[in-house]
Amino acid sequence: MSITRRKVLAGSAVGAASLASGLAAPAIAANEPIKIGYLPALTGPSSSTGIGINRGTVLAVDEINAAGGIDGRKIELIVRDTQSDPTKAVNAVAELTQRQKVAIIFGPLNSGEALAATPLIARDKVPMLHPCWVDELIDVKKYPMAFRIAPTNTQVGGGANYYVVDVLKLKKVAVISDTTGYGTASVNTYVPMLKAKGAEVVYTNHVDAANPDLKPELLRMQSAGAQAIMPWSVNAGFLSRILNTRGAMGWDVPVVGQTTLGSGQTKALLDKPENWNKVYSNNFRQVCFAGGKLPARAEEFVDRLKKAKVEMGDTLLWWIALGWDGAKMMGETLKAAGPKADDIVAHWNKTKDWPGVYGTVTWTPEQHNGFPDTEVVMCEVNSLKDGAFNLAPGYAV
Amino acid sequence: MFASIVSYGLAVGAVYALIGITYNVMFSASRVFSFTAGMLGMLGGVLGALFIGKLGLPAIVGLVLVLACGAVLGLVTELVTVRPVLKSIEQHLYVLSTLAFALMVQQFVAVEWGTEAQPFPRLIAIGPGWLDQQFWLPMLACAVTIVGLELLYRKTLIGRAFLAIAEDSYAARALGLPETQLRMASFALAGVIGTLAGFTGAEMLLAFFGNQSILNFYGFVPVALGGMGSNRGAVVGGLALGLFQQAANFLVGGIFAAVAVFAVFIIVLLLRPEGLAGGSAARRV
Repeated sequence: MSITRRKVLAGSAVGAASLASGLAAPAIAANEPIKIGYLPALTGPSSSTGIGINRGTVLAVDEINAAGGIDGRKIELIVRDTQSDPTKAVNAVAELTQRQKVAIIFGPLNSGEALAATPLIARDKVPMLHPCWVDELIDVKKYPMAFRIAPTNTQVGGGANYYVVDVLKLKKVAVISDTTGYGTASVNTYVPMLKAKGAEVVYTNHVDAANPDLKPELLRMQSAGAQAIMPWSVNAGFLSRILNTRGAMGWDVPVVGQTTLGSGQTKALLDKPENWNKVYSNNFRQVCFAGGKLPARAEEFVDRLKKAKVEMGDTLLWWIALGWDGAKMMGETLKAAGPKADDIVAHWNKTKDWPGVYGTVTWTPEQHNGFPDTEVVMCEVNSLKDGAFNLAPGYAV
Repeated sequence: MFASIVSYGLAVGAVYALIGITYNVMFSASRVFSFTAGMLGMLGGVLGALFIGKLGLPAIVGLVLVLACGAVLGLVTELVTVRPVLKSIEQHLYVLSTLAFALMVQQFVAVEWGTEAQPFPRLIAIGPGWLDQQFWLPMLACAVTIVGLELLYRKTLIGRAFLAIAEDSYAARALGLPETQLRMASFALAGVIGTLAGFTGAEMLLAFFGNQSILNFYGFVPVALGGMGSNRGAVVGGLALGLFQQAANFLVGGIFAAVAVFAVFIIVLLLRPEGLAGGSAARRV
């Protein structure tokens, strides 16, 4: 086919016509849905969190749309499953920011993917909401449009330290981790924090998680006079070996640490159920039973979940609440500030004591970590009921 | 402390020794150092937990099924990763092909079974302490295997044929021995021994996809210490490694235990490169 002058002119005319209709677009866009990018890991090795959070997010978006949306415009959740793979998250970000032109991005929900995706989202100047804990994800200079509705790892470790030193009043602590990046970084961050609180760290070590016998480690802790063990690991095998060895030694020492201590995988590896006694893992005050009752916001939320027939028994309440809070926060923001990036950021920068189910959020232009220290608590791991745990003993209710 | 070092050390050492023997059985028949030994060990635990723990089969049926799976995987290893590269064995291509196969299987296990360690059922309810199955079961398996192999190699015709292939495959073939069939049989036998190691050690090591790399690594040490191809050397090397590792665990602890193990390993290899039990073999020409 030869290109003639006539064809070129005809093509230009079509182009000009489409451009003209594009210019008239705002009048039509008023009824178009507002797009929100959403990057959960719904499959792959780290997907259990994503599946739990997703239930809350989907419920909240459905509720907002059923109530008429944002001034008549529906919210459209553009979901891209990261498959627990940072590469997939990065590819999805490019699509969401450049092709789909989403107003806000929620996620990625896992730290590994979030670390890879955050700089790209910041480069494309899209406001983002983080549910992950890694401290480095929030930096008002580098990522001025990124906000967090969850605690940081420092807050999580601080919550455990507070429980051991200020609630249980124990001064001699053993801190160990596996040899992963998460484990060693946690020990290196939390040990100085413990010392600053006046605790004596009598034993600290990094242990190969594959080591089948942890008795030597526990004997060393015992002879060092440890009154509490704080293990930092997400490896259920490693944590269960600590608990089983403690049980076999008949040592009645509390174990205080990360949420995996209370996971079903850890439970499955226990020699006997009693090995789960006196084990306290991180949780959040707004979603814990205190004196047999959930706080008012959580109770209302559970009723809402039951009414919507959302399954709670196979996941954790705080995961669902986190997803619900994220979507609710985005919906309210779009209603108050509209879909323009700068307006969203300006609105978020003024957020004070926003009453989420998972946590109470406050942001300022200087601080985009919104979760309050006081709501990071410890819970009894053997008290799981309907996805929620009892507050650990000793807290003022 | 002493009891704990001996019981755990010998039990873990027996698993390492069996993985070492798995390497040896494959190596003798093919001159190929197949890195599927750790994979077989890992699968012994995972498949055992699947058959007995998840599907609820009786322990003995589960064990037989696990060993059968091991034998089949051994055959597949020979067919898929060893036979095609035997022609160019000097280029050590088999290192890549066996490793690639092992990694594929490991990834498959990670996806299908999960990346978290899972419990292995207690088969014989005695213990705790010395009588716990997690201690004596691997030792028993190791003893049965080494005695069985000695009897096979010394008392049976097929065992002698294995030895002949291991000694000099060209000469054995010239004498009319079916080298290919014998090699396949060796890989199937190695599959059985490797999965037996994993099965008996799984209460201690758990049913965990990550055990593959650990067993590949620590199972290699007794082979290097005991001398390539020497099963008795692998047993001595494996038990010594287990005891030393557990002693280091008690004495220094943490990641330094692993450092101590490998420091000793390097020193032994520097002093006796042919291994503690290996001798320099002379070949008649």
